[in-house]
Amino acid sequence: MPAPEDKQRDKKLEDILRLIELCRAVSSSSVNPFEVDIKEKLLVLKKHLPDWNVIDVMLKDSEAMQQLVAIVKLQDQWIKHRASALFIDPLLLELKITLITKDELAESFAKCWHPIAQLDQLTARGLEKAFVYWRELVPFSERFKDQFGNYGQQTGLIGLEELESLSIFTKEEFESRLNAINKELVQRSDGKEIDYRDFIKGKDPEETALRGYLIAFVVTEGRATIRTDPLTEQIFISVIQGKPGDETKSVAIAVR
Amino acid sequence: MSESNNPPDAANPPTEAAAERASLDRKTRKAFQVLILQRGRNPGVKGWEMRRYLGKDYKKILEVLSNDLKSLGLEVHLVPGAEGTDDSTRFLLRFRDPPTLSEAETAGFRIDDLAVLAATIALVNSKQGRISRKELESFLKGKFPRWRIDYSVDRYIKRGYLDLDDKELVRIGWRTRAEIDERSLMTLILAQGTKTDAKK
Repeated sequence: MPAPEDKQRDKKLEDILRLIELCRAVSSSSVNPFEVDIKEKLLVLKKHLPDWNVIDVMLKDSEAMQQLVAIVKLQDQWIKHRASALFIDPLLLELKITLITKDELAESFAKCWHPIAQLDQLTARGLEKAFVYWRELVPFSERFKDQFGNYGQQTGLIGLEELESLSIFTKEEFESRLNAINKELVQRSDGKEIDYRDFIKGKDPEETALRGYLIAFVVTEGRATIRTDPLTEQIFISVIQGKPGDETKSVAIAVR
Repeated sequence: MSESNNPPDAANPPTEAAAERASLDRKTRKAFQVLILQRGRNPGVKGWEMRRYLGKDYKKILEVLSNDLKSLGLEVHLVPGAEGTDDSTRFLLRFRDPPTLSEAETAGFRIDDLAVLAATIALVNSKQGRISRKELESFLKGKFPRWRIDYSVDRYIKRGYLDLDDKELVRIGWRTRAEIDERSLMTLILAQGTKTDAKK
């Protein structure tokens, strides 16, 4: 059983460690630095200081002091920022950003944007960097040997699990998007065939690719079918009413 | 122009004022060349470099240049340095008037990207100039798809609009300080909602 003195010393050391942790948490977030009561913490350090006789604990004590100094610096910045014209209540601003549209946000940005005018040119430093890069660049045939053997990486399929692991989709987001695009297809097609490319066309190539990807799942699940006109090569999509038929075929469609 | 190309007439030596004017013109041209050409990784020229190129009156010369550039829609802008001294101040050329949204789009900025940046700058400023990347992403997730947030934030950090420190705290980058009137941005964002309400 530990002696009462040891127990007391552990408790004091714990105080210091907790203080360091608190300061670190405040410095690495946007929490108000005035949440840390500097005076009280200094008194705690002062009270414990005569009891320390081990170098490691003394170092912890000085680290705590250093962290408190960092908090004082943050408090100084906090006051300066509050006094500046840039200060707006974060809650009010968050609410505003949530309420206004992306277009309005972009428009606000464009109205106060003064792009830098400059001629881009090759500098001696840039040239040196390019030379070093080129010199150290492994030939293409050798580049992926370690990872993929002698032939480099083959093109292949990317699954939903992989997309989830790459944080491109979350399960919920994917399901809700799938349902949304299926609903849109039902509404737009109104029981008839519609042009596939028109349907997947988004605001930009990225959105078009994303819609194409999602609609491939809708078709795979048997909720819609795709038909290609052999003469015009026009692709049509329509909703399947009732149970899907047994005849299935895999097709690759280039999305532009 | 033609007069200045002719050799000075021995009978009428150039006056002191004319010589001063010629020197100012020469220095203004030099200042423009220094500012327009990229030197280091980041655009702009520091105060101490300007003094070396143009002499101790460099600020006056830059004022003249800024005035001359008015007709081209450009201006000389100064960004105070971290030390707050004249030497650390960065001078650069920038558009005097903001571009339209469609002009911004033709320069390779999509509306979504601009919206992410606008929201981020406003949020960082409202949070005393720093916000953890996690907190920022979780806020933006309510308005933008996650992949777009990751892509845009990384891109803006790379371009200098945002700054990410080793504690994963997002701060305002040097390019934002140089290109964006942050105060107006905050005011415009707050006013946008009001305008929409008023229209309704």
